[in-house]
Amino acid sequence: MSDEIIRVSHLGKAFGNNVVLRDINFTVSKGDVTSIIGSSGSGKSTLLRCINLLETPTSGEILYHGVPINSKNVNACEYRTHVGMVFQSFNLFNNMTVLDNCVIGQTKVLKKKKDDAVINAVKYLEKVGMSPYINARPHQLSGGQKQRVAIARALAMDPEVLLFDEPTSALDPEMVGEVLAVMRDLAREGMTMIVVTHEMAFARDVSNHVIFMSEGVICEEGPPEEIFKNPKNERTREFLSRFTQN
Amino acid sequence: MTSSLPTDFWGRILFLITNYSSSFLRGAGTTVAIAVVGTAVGCLIGFIVGIIQTIPVNPNDSKIKKVLLWIVNAILKVYVEVFRGTPMIVQAMFIYYGALMYLDIKMGMWFAAFFIVSINTGAYMAETVRGGIISVDWGQTEGAMSIGMNHYQTMLYVVFPQALRNIIPQIGNNLIINIKDSSVLSVIGTVELFYAAKQTAGAYYWYFESMTIAMAVYLVMTLLTSFLLRSGRKNWTALRSSNLRRPIPWRLQAGCSTDRRERTGG
Repeated sequence: MSDEIIRVSHLGKAFGNNVVLRDINFTVSKGDVTSIIGSSGSGKSTLLRCINLLETPTSGEILYHGVPINSKNVNACEYRTHVGMVFQSFNLFNNMTVLDNCVIGQTKVLKKKKDDAVINAVKYLEKVGMSPYINARPHQLSGGQKQRVAIARALAMDPEVLLFDEPTSALDPEMVGEVLAVMRDLAREGMTMIVVTHEMAFARDVSNHVIFMSEGVICEEGPPEEIFKNPKNERTREFLSRFTQN
Repeated sequence: MTSSLPTDFWGRILFLITNYSSSFLRGAGTTVAIAVVGTAVGCLIGFIVGIIQTIPVNPNDSKIKKVLLWIVNAILKVYVEVFRGTPMIVQAMFIYYGALMYLDIKMGMWFAAFFIVSINTGAYMAETVRGGIISVDWGQTEGAMSIGMNHYQTMLYVVFPQALRNIIPQIGNNLIINIKDSSVLSVIGTVELFYAAKQTAGAYYWYFESMTIAMAVYLVMTLLTSFLLRSGRKNWTALRSSNLRRPIPWRLQAGCSTDRRERTGG
């Protein structure tokens, strides 16, 4: 399959004796929106952080266009420019303005010219509706605004895949919508995304592939219609019933 | 002339000021020079040591790097603990006479003074810098890594500028401490303010009067320094907040936004 971007193969991760991930296998192709759902502590975030090499896998492989990226001779920094990440806690650079947050990676890592970088940054800040705030500092923004800037910062690197680690979990309920709207737009435009989320409606309506994890393993995966309407695994059913109840 | 020596307190003070002011001033000048140079070099040492001590070790790093880093860190740790854990007055004599008797090096007055104050300040600053760096939220580092920055870029553009905010006040504190503590260098014959005051006192056995002047001069120097530091900090803060209020280009102002999400207010 030529469209395949990321293949996770027999991935395992342990912190000391605590095994967090066991034999994880899945692929992500161009334009896929993959949602990873599951209860807290099931290893979703760790999996996502392994894909971005923020955690070092203890076994298995992660292939990026067929190249194993968790081997020693791969430049992790270079790889990360292709795989953007949006964090639960935003992690905007507090010592920079909104604009500089989106420019610094382009000029210092991608070695782009300042002017080009600014034009590119403003383009993405406009896209997420944050262009009026380019001179603001992160501490002057609301959570939802910060997260939109964080998405623009990741987009400004022109990544091939975008990873979202519970992007709305730290937000007030009234701010969740604005961030999800941005993510829906991105999905519609064909951005390849892997989203760890507790927003079941987002997983159901926006993604084309859903992975349900429990206790460090993938219990069930498939298209959202199948997972949400007709879950085969007992644990998936139990997990989803808690969401449909309210 | 001896018959005309003053016998009351104020008379003696006036006498010392008129006859020995140049000696006191030269001593004060030396004190300031030692404090300023010692603090500057000490900060440099502290920055280097503190930054080395916070280099992260990855499980993927080569064995050579891990071992090398471990050795360097162990040496730095010993340096910091030894110089923070012993009095500067003892360090001064230890280093000065050690170099003289066993290495056959006769340190000059200035070199010895700069060397001892710098190395002492460096040990304190190393801890301050290390603390400043680790106090910056780890998320900042992860954010920088996620856009492909390497360790050096992450430090330079993201972590260090934020750590500096916590470090700068401590640099000022060290300067004030060094103005006072450079007085211990009199034990190795550095002619700074305290040494000059002691010499003058010895000429007439007017210890109280001479030390009163030394006290006053030290106090003026430290008060002046903290005043300068405070106004410097105020200007810096004012500069920063004026940057925040820099006008936004009109086409990007909130009211002109063409973005629906913005108008409806998320």
